[in-house]
Amino acid sequence: MECNELVQYLSDYIDQNLEDDLIQAAKDHLSSCHNCRVVLDTTQRTIFLYREQGKRTIPADRRQRLFDQLQETFLKSDQDQGN
Amino acid sequence: MTDDPQLLQQLRQRSPEAFQRLFQQYSDKVYRLAVSIVQNEDDAEDVVQEVFIRFFEYLDRFEGRSKIGTWLYRVAYNASIDRVRKQRVLPVVDEDISEMPLPKQIHAWSDSHRMTMDQIDLVGQLEAAIRTLPESLRMVFLLRDVEELSTQDTAAVLNITPGAVKVRLHRARLQLREILTGTFAETGQRNE
Repeated sequence: MECNELVQYLSDYIDQNLEDDLIQAAKDHLSSCHNCRVVLDTTQRTIFLYREQGKRTIPADRRQRLFDQLQETFLKSDQDQGN
Repeated sequence: MTDDPQLLQQLRQRSPEAFQRLFQQYSDKVYRLAVSIVQNEDDAEDVVQEVFIRFFEYLDRFEGRSKIGTWLYRVAYNASIDRVRKQRVLPVVDEDISEMPLPKQIHAWSDSHRMTMDQIDLVGQLEAAIRTLPESLRMVFLLRDVEELSTQDTAAVLNITPGAVKVRLHRARLQLREILTGTFAETGQRNE
């Protein structure tokens, strides 16, 4: 496997979606290619960082307002249904 | 994901506890998707409200062919896109897999990254980087890598093929890696 092929298969390699022979070819290439090891490692770190830090939540004031309004609508929809 | 059939049944009985579970489980997810498209908190809040109200209206006809989460994401995506389309034209993304960009920035992060974690606004850097992606790549990355949906569910939300999900995810990861490598290497060098 060459560097450009490794890059092409990188996401499938990370997601463990490759056939066994391609996994072995990728591992063989990675064992001898420093640059591809760096690209693999920094891509995995990118995913990890977003997974850990990217889970933004609704600010508290907006959250409470939404909860109150939606709860009222939800419970009222029961009355509407009954009418 | 939740135990959808049980939650659905309780929601149909208009159980306040079931509403709390629904809101707790999905409001932040819908909000994150919306804010990443509409790019402001007021519109994102409106989208959350719209999506949940539409779900309540649809509740008694919801057949469970799709998961609650997938349904909410799909409606949120469409509602957000509709809002943005009224304000600007969305660019068409290049789906050509043969033109996959090769990595240019090849620097290990290990030292500079750990050293700078506490010194930089990490969340701000991540948000700035992801904002540079076209909306179509950003959505796939957000659903697959942040929200951890499967390729199939992501395809269902965005109404694209699983193959397109994989191509876009790969592009998004490589582009973000490129930007963040530049950021961390640069910051690390300044600290040396």
